[in-house]
Amino acid sequence: MTPTRDILPAFEQDLAATTTLDTLEQLHIAYLGRNGHINRLLQAIKDVPEASRRSYGSEVNELKNEITAQIDAHRQKLILKADDEGLDYDPTVPGRQNIRGSLHMTSAAIDEITAIFARLGFIRQSYPEVEWEYYAFDSLNIAPTHPARDDVETFFVKGAPYDKMGRMVLTPHTSNGQVREMLRLKGKPPIRMINIGRTYRPNWDTSHVPMFHQFEGLCVDQGITISHLKGTIDHFVKELFGPNRQIRLRPFHFQFTEPSFEVDITCGLCNGTGEIDGAKCRMCKAGWLELGGSGMVHPHVLEAGGIDPELYTGWAFGFGVERVFMMREGLKIDDLRTIYSGDIRFLEQF
Amino acid sequence: MNIKITYNWLREYLDTDADAYELQKYLSLCGASIEHVIPVEDDWALDIEITSNRIDMASVWGIAQEAAAILPRFGKKAHLRSHPLDEKTSSITQSPNSLPLTLTISDSHLASCARAIILDRVEIQPSPEIIQKRLRACDIRPINNVVDITNYVMLALGQPTHVFDYDKIQNATMLMRASQAGEKITTLDGKSYTLPGDDIVIEDGSGTIIDLCGIMGGQNSAVDEHTKRVVFFAQTYNKRLIRTTSMKTSARSIAASYFEKGLDEARVDAACAFALELFAQNAHATYAGESATPSKEYEPRIITTSRSFIVGRIGHELSLDECAQILRSLGMEVTTDSNDQLSVTVPSWRKYDIELPVDIVEEVARIYGFHNLENILPPPARIQQPKEIELQLSAQTKIGTLLKHLGYHESVNYSMISKEMIEWLELEPAHHLELEETMSEEWKYMRISLLPSMIALMKQNYTATRPLRFFEIAKVYYPQTNDLPHEIYKVALASNDSFEALKGDVESICHELNIRDLSYAISEVGFFAPRVQVNIMSGQTILGTIGRLKKSNAQRVPLKEDVYLASLDLKALIDDAHTIPNYRPFHNFAVIRADVTLDVNGQSYTEIVAKIQKASTLVDHIEYITSYKETMTLRLSCSLPTRNIREEDVQNEIAHIKQALA
Repeated sequence: MTPTRDILPAFEQDLAATTTLDTLEQLHIAYLGRNGHINRLLQAIKDVPEASRRSYGSEVNELKNEITAQIDAHRQKLILKADDEGLDYDPTVPGRQNIRGSLHMTSAAIDEITAIFARLGFIRQSYPEVEWEYYAFDSLNIAPTHPARDDVETFFVKGAPYDKMGRMVLTPHTSNGQVREMLRLKGKPPIRMINIGRTYRPNWDTSHVPMFHQFEGLCVDQGITISHLKGTIDHFVKELFGPNRQIRLRPFHFQFTEPSFEVDITCGLCNGTGEIDGAKCRMCKAGWLELGGSGMVHPHVLEAGGIDPELYTGWAFGFGVERVFMMREGLKIDDLRTIYSGDIRFLEQF
Repeated sequence: MNIKITYNWLREYLDTDADAYELQKYLSLCGASIEHVIPVEDDWALDIEITSNRIDMASVWGIAQEAAAILPRFGKKAHLRSHPLDEKTSSITQSPNSLPLTLTISDSHLASCARAIILDRVEIQPSPEIIQKRLRACDIRPINNVVDITNYVMLALGQPTHVFDYDKIQNATMLMRASQAGEKITTLDGKSYTLPGDDIVIEDGSGTIIDLCGIMGGQNSAVDEHTKRVVFFAQTYNKRLIRTTSMKTSARSIAASYFEKGLDEARVDAACAFALELFAQNAHATYAGESATPSKEYEPRIITTSRSFIVGRIGHELSLDECAQILRSLGMEVTTDSNDQLSVTVPSWRKYDIELPVDIVEEVARIYGFHNLENILPPPARIQQPKEIELQLSAQTKIGTLLKHLGYHESVNYSMISKEMIEWLELEPAHHLELEETMSEEWKYMRISLLPSMIALMKQNYTATRPLRFFEIAKVYYPQTNDLPHEIYKVALASNDSFEALKGDVESICHELNIRDLSYAISEVGFFAPRVQVNIMSGQTILGTIGRLKKSNAQRVPLKEDVYLASLDLKALIDDAHTIPNYRPFHNFAVIRADVTLDVNGQSYTEIVAKIQKASTLVDHIEYITSYKETMTLRLSCSLPTRNIREEDVQNEIAHIKQALA
């Protein structure tokens, strides 16, 4: 009497028809689970005559082992097969898309510039955008009638002049922070400052926008020389543009520095040669690109900041953020006005 | 300003083996920048940038002087062939009849020096080809031999001059005086000016103004093709008066750009001598007398400085002799002594430019060559970073980065906005700082809110792919009485998602900054739709406002769809920010979550949450699920840190909460 093995053909048939791990688990439960066939056979032992119980039990166990072994073997087969499924799927289709936003190129540039000067111990500063004429001009050795005011076209705010401060203007450069920083430190150097901010000039064409950004470096201490200015700008240029770039200073004139310089850096497109494959480089002037103005702080400016120009010397520079960023990336933005147009087709590319 | 001269013209004064391109390279490094070299037939036009302090360089002669100092340092030959400033006589024929002319300067502060020379038997005709060619190469249109002489002399020596038709000056009188406000003149170019007053003018003794001095001559005394007799006029003016007139009248001319920077009196006689030579050669004119005011003798300025002062600023060792030699090459007289002192005599043509020892430093440094100086980093120094700025920058970076990853595009918008934009939100233009004479109505007022700019973005990008999300972190400008405006940073967001989505994004900002104790309170902003706006609070502090633009305001723009806007105060966010979230010890006892639907009874979510938190000891987290009619479903997470709670505990707590809310 071996009724126990009767279920085996049905099981084998079921097993053969099982093609997924999920259905295999169901099969497992149907035969080996708490209410499965095997358990039912075991529970039926009470109806087996006393004498046969021992052999009945061992037969059920044998059956159980056989079923378990078959299921395990089948499972291994299915697991091996599982990774072969979906071989017709193209794994190169794009992933699930997250919504993409962007940071404005000016913000990104400001962060980078700040970081480079932070390594030299320059603090970050921020000074008024709506400024008194005094800080924008007079304190910088530019008297009201001086022709140098022509070089700096300016937005004026409506209203009467206020005392010695003059009228309110939109600061045309970040140099307004020079004397303000000297006064903040109560005329006591050392000063190491980077002032970054919005600046304004009434110009509107493909290479001018009425609002732009500058960063101003100011270093005042005992024994500060032109070499320190060169060293700092050289460091900045090599950090931002790459270690192979060179700088040069050309004589220039600013009322608030003496001596004054224009800073040029070698062009990244032609590597400072001014030529590409025998043709003139279209990016630069004879291998050089203009970075901006700089100089040794004029003694009158130090005095306006309460600093004794006999004891202390210093340098300052003011460069355009947008210009520097575009130069670095080799960006050709045909119309500078695009940068602040708010057009999403521009914004989303950064 | 930029001037153009030509290479061959330069070589009339300078004997050099440097070609035009070498000149460009070396002068740009140590002197004026030659921005372009333009081949013109057998010559080269040099386009040179002249800085406002170096008007003495704005001539062929001026560049020759610079080149003579600079080129030899690069191994190039360079000698000045002659010194035109020493040429004070000419070979012009005397006219048999001398003609009368009275030149008077009513006040010596108007002009330091002036000469009016009468030329007779002038034959008006075109200038010789070489003069025409050179003028054209320098972007000056040749007119006739007489007018061309004034331009040629100006470019050669840097001294602007003027020619009058002698026969058009009534009474043979030239009276230079300050103008009265309201006087009128029509200049050569046909433009009429009503003078602001205190302008330098010349009248003919009858009150008729014949010259707006330093800027342009009058039409009434202009030389024309019938002119027979000419007054050639060379002078130096009070630079400030010229500048003021030019600024107030907006009358600009090349002459004005010279005179307003201050010219060297010593050049007037040289210019006259050269011009007379040209009048004789090119117009066969004869000399018929002159009227002149004596020029004030230049008292040389002497600047005393030391080698150590110079070296201490350049940062490079130079010998006393080297410094002296460089300065001498620029026409300065230098004496040195054994104590390293230098005594430098400033030549007349540099008197407005070289005033201080640092000006001497510049001359030595540039001629020695900035390219010969080392690159050295400044010595380290400890300066305290102002905390407020550091916090502001780091908050800006955190918020910006977060919003970028939430799909927002950062836009940097103009701080100046139009009246129209202000009116979108029905704000008062009078509450804004207003700009004067701006170039466009678009940039007229300094914004007191970033939201008009955000609305403009939504309008402008209407056709772009949805959703539209923008943000900006920037200052607004609140006007103050008798002081600069308060410049305050705001964070603005705009999207067309939904009110809930925007609130969620603002909450994300607060979470990013670890701002605690957040809640919403009903707000009443005029341009937001009622009940679709809230203040976001941290405790009792308002961090900002979020809302949907009211339809009637949207219509003003116009916007075709709903726009959700948020404006947050960056300072408030920073003040309530924490470097880490509020840390709470956690436990391993059971947490039971229960979704509970409550009757709202007219209470806001904020009020309901406050009541639950007050009434319950088990609830330690509340999550909003949904609202339906007068009910709200919340998911309450219940636990105790001391023991495992059971389902009955939670059921009892919910009953208790419902009672508290009833």
